[in-house]
Amino acid sequence: MKRLIWILWPSFVVAGIAEAVFFTLIDPQELYLFGEPVQYSRAATYSIGFFAFWALCAASSAFTCFLQTGSRELNRCTPPQA
Amino acid sequence: MAQPAPKPAAAGAKVIPIKEDSLYESEKKIYARSVSGTFANWRWILVWITQAIFYGLCWLEWNGRQAVLFDIVERKFYLFGLVFWPQDVFYLAVLLIISALALFLFTAVAGRLFCGYACPQTVYTEIFMWVEKLFEGDRAARMKLDAAPLTADKLARKAGKHAVWVAIGLWTGFTFVGYFTPIKTLAASFAGWQLGPWETFWIFFYGFATWGNAGFMREQVCKYMCPYARFQGVMFDPDTLIVTYDAERGEPRGARSKKVDYKAAGKGDCVDCGICVQVCPTGIDIRNGLQYECIGCSACIDACDQVMDKMAYPRGLIRYSTEHALAEHWGRKEIVAHILRPRTLLYGAILSAIVIAAVTGLTLRQPLKVDVIRDRATLAREVEGGLIENVYRLQVMNLAEAPRRFALSVTGLEGIQIVTERVVEAPPASTQAVAVRVRVNPEAGKRGSNPIHFEVRALNHDEVFVREKASFLLP
Repeated sequence: MKRLIWILWPSFVVAGIAEAVFFTLIDPQELYLFGEPVQYSRAATYSIGFFAFWALCAASSAFTCFLQTGSRELNRCTPPQA
Repeated sequence: MAQPAPKPAAAGAKVIPIKEDSLYESEKKIYARSVSGTFANWRWILVWITQAIFYGLCWLEWNGRQAVLFDIVERKFYLFGLVFWPQDVFYLAVLLIISALALFLFTAVAGRLFCGYACPQTVYTEIFMWVEKLFEGDRAARMKLDAAPLTADKLARKAGKHAVWVAIGLWTGFTFVGYFTPIKTLAASFAGWQLGPWETFWIFFYGFATWGNAGFMREQVCKYMCPYARFQGVMFDPDTLIVTYDAERGEPRGARSKKVDYKAAGKGDCVDCGICVQVCPTGIDIRNGLQYECIGCSACIDACDQVMDKMAYPRGLIRYSTEHALAEHWGRKEIVAHILRPRTLLYGAILSAIVIAAVTGLTLRQPLKVDVIRDRATLAREVEGGLIENVYRLQVMNLAEAPRRFALSVTGLEGIQIVTERVVEAPPASTQAVAVRVRVNPEAGKRGSNPIHFEVRALNHDEVFVREKASFLLP
């Protein structure tokens, strides 16, 4: 559970910041999706954008958590104490 | 998250169990005892003020529109008489810097004032705990109820509590969305069950977060999720006001009989009743000294003062004090005198400078912005009379909340003039795009790019004037 919070919470905060910065600088109506202008309403684009940012940031957090796994957990056994 | 159990190690090797902290299982639920007193009153005053602002401000009208509205769909932020456009993002950055500096200053002077009294996490927890007490009683009653088997009475109490919590959560979510979508339209569509899918989603999302954070997560948000709790220490110094236990006066702690002179018996003022621990929303013992979990809510001060009154001891065994004051036995006067020190003066000076600069900038801000974009299709072309013509697109943004007419002119080359419409009409707070054709005699400038300026002036408002640079191409 703690690990889930480590993944979801910092990514939520950063996604919020990314959302604010990105959409302040770029009008969602000027975006192109697969070569077509975005058809969704601004509210929908903002919401989808937020969850996309959150997902990306969560992926980064999850990767960090994954790399933090210690050798003991990876080896699945306890080496003798030195 | 479940981890695979370690394989049994070879005989002789020590097995070191992997300690996995789980947020919910290993955390003991904290049953904070309710408290009354000076600081609790202050907290309730702050709850009322902050919530009156949060729930009320979005209903306020200004110039026939919502006074405070972050209209993300129209990409305009309304703040009473001011309208901010995406071009004003600079002011948002300034606002963030001001908030950060103010937090530094308050923290250096009096510790976690924000956390203890004004943070939404504290404020909503306070409200939710009040509801909880209403349905389930105070600390002892709640502990008993949680330990008891499920009965109709328990179910009714729990259901009642959650119903009120959910209602508060949803109202909070609705209000939150009302800052981004005009709240009266939102209320009308809610009344007619015609809320848009995204509005509904965000109301529930924010409502759920309120319910979860104030009802369940509570102190865990402060302990495990709040970044401020972790870096507040760097803003503290020995002259920062913090909630402290006067160990010199209190120790050795212990129970005593009222008939015996406790001082003669070698005891301090602390009767070790443990109430300071019971009232603590984060479940710490302030007598162990300053800890990062302490949100500075002063519940322990109120609680201890009541005990001191009962024992007829002087108040303030736990009190707001500073590290220096405690060590040097300073009184109120010396503590106040030490509020002004290099650190606070520096924070204060930078903060005032930025606030003054921002206010000046906002006051002098022109209610007009102009963007000039060259027409890329036709760079320069020769027209009748041997003149050269360039085409531009002018975005005239009328930031005022009144319709305005603007006069366009161009300078920079001899005889240069606009041949299209020279007056632009713009509705209140809107952008008007106009195509502008400009002609000049080719002899007026050098070949290539020549700097010119577009001048836009509001008719009947001479002070509203913008000069925008552009370039004129001569073949």
